[in-house]
Amino acid sequence: MRNAIELDRLTRSYGRRRGIVDLEVEVHEGEVFGFLGPNGAGKTTTIRVLMGFIRPTSGRATIFGLDAWSDAPRLHRRIAHLGSDPGYLGELTAAELLRHLARLRGFEPAAWRPLAARLDLDPGVPIRKLSRGNRNKVGLVAVFMGHEPLLVLDEPTSALDPLMQREFLRLVAEARADGRTVFLSSHNLPEVERSCDRIGIIRDGRLVEITTVGALLSGHWRSVNLVLGTPPDPGFFDLPNLEVVASSGRDVHLMVRGDVNPFLARIARLDIRDIAITTPDIEDLFLRYYDDQAGAGQLGPTGAPGAPGPPPPTDGRAPARRVAR
Amino acid sequence: MIVPILQLELRRSRALVAWLVVVGLAYGGFMTAFYPTIRSNTTLVDQYLKVWPKELLAAFGLEGSLADPGVFFNTYIGSLLWPILASIGAILIATRAAADLDRGWIELPLSTPTPRARYLGASIAAQLVSLAVLAAACVGGVLAVGLLVGAPFEPGHFAIAALLAFAFGCGIASVTTLLSVVTLNRGTAGGLAAGIVIAMYLLEVVAKIEPDLAAIAAFSAFHYLEFAAVIDTGTFPWTDVAVFAGVSIVSWGFAVLVFRGRDLVA
Repeated sequence: MRNAIELDRLTRSYGRRRGIVDLEVEVHEGEVFGFLGPNGAGKTTTIRVLMGFIRPTSGRATIFGLDAWSDAPRLHRRIAHLGSDPGYLGELTAAELLRHLARLRGFEPAAWRPLAARLDLDPGVPIRKLSRGNRNKVGLVAVFMGHEPLLVLDEPTSALDPLMQREFLRLVAEARADGRTVFLSSHNLPEVERSCDRIGIIRDGRLVEITTVGALLSGHWRSVNLVLGTPPDPGFFDLPNLEVVASSGRDVHLMVRGDVNPFLARIARLDIRDIAITTPDIEDLFLRYYDDQAGAGQLGPTGAPGAPGPPPPTDGRAPARRVAR
Repeated sequence: MIVPILQLELRRSRALVAWLVVVGLAYGGFMTAFYPTIRSNTTLVDQYLKVWPKELLAAFGLEGSLADPGVFFNTYIGSLLWPILASIGAILIATRAAADLDRGWIELPLSTPTPRARYLGASIAAQLVSLAVLAAACVGGVLAVGLLVGAPFEPGHFAIAALLAFAFGCGIASVTTLLSVVTLNRGTAGGLAAGIVIAMYLLEVVAKIEPDLAAIAAFSAFHYLEFAAVIDTGTFPWTDVAVFAGVSIVSWGFAVLVFRGRDLVA
């Protein structure tokens, strides 16, 4: 599999300020790669290096085998980019802006029209009069109106309503179906969970982990709340991947990690009145990388050495979001 | 690829240039409308001007009789109106690269296959067109009003004056462009450029009122912005235009080099 993007010990600092440190990432052609991290983690710096706006302090960023800095204009024929907060010229209408960008990218001046219609964007309104959500639509139209093989998106849906977020996910899925590569920087975790094949998590400028969304979720704990007909026998839940978080008679709260089949086989013998099994969503997992600064470098929710214990009880949290199958 | 950027940059400059042209035409036209009156009352005007300190008159470029078309133009337009209009126009338009980086606009065109040099080149071309329109309108406005009121103005001489005015504007714009891409901060670049213009103006005034310091005038752009001989005799100011052209080419050239090779971080 060829790589669309390769970051080789990529480091960028701003004087004494940290930017990104020793990033090692390979994004395969045709995949949707999520780049996750909170504000200030280094996502935008990484994208600026990829787009050739800033030079790496050390290391290298290559896209389709070309250097992101020295070959930038050549590469930009193959990249569609959407910044996190593009400073559109407010005096232009959306149509004028999109026509301008289409011409610069060598498209037909009206290349934006079908997508604008699909996203229900009013092209005749000056951009300064558009809501933030509608400005985001302008960005989506701009980035998806072409057929560049690589899309580099920096927090593209921050102000979109749920319907438009769904439309965005469809656009990403269509891009992937076309064999295009998507590099999606986000802190919108459900969005990444639903759209990405793999994700890289960045914290304080350093890459913490690269994994698939599936592996990240499957290697993690599930929270199980049981309401039983009768209290269980002592030691009933003694299984290697099971922990009893709380037990008060007939109510039992357990955490199960990894394979749930032994657990399901064990509880099949019980008189179960109610059960709620939730997997932590990616947000829970993601936050676990950040909630313990003292454990930096030791955290690893997939069970790596030094991995933290089970997540805290989910009692009192939002209702079950997903039932394990 | 350069055409859409040039078109957009010109569009963005349109309102500013239009307002500056209105100011130039209003002030230049108003003063020129009085030129026949000044000319027919030369003796009285000269007597009146003797009341004023020589240094003050020198500061406004008034060296000679206001009845002379060249001195008149130099006093009201060349030493006052044009430097102000050209500086405002040049600084506001030429600091746009820094302003566009600040607001995040610049990433959009530079995410396309447009090379940085071509982008800045288009921006410089827009500066040239804007300054040319401004110079032509201001100088042409004075000429037009002058001809209407019967002033003995030579259109050919005014054409050369417009060229000199344009060259001066280019000098300011080019240095401002360089400051803009070096600092990538509109406030800093604009402030520095305005400071340089004011410092050069003071340098010229000091050189004029203090003969011992006359040599320092060579470092002032205003030293090369003398319209009197151009308007009166039609002498082409080769040296002055060459100085402005040289400063412009070097500054814009460096600006492109710097812009190509630097990080675009506000």
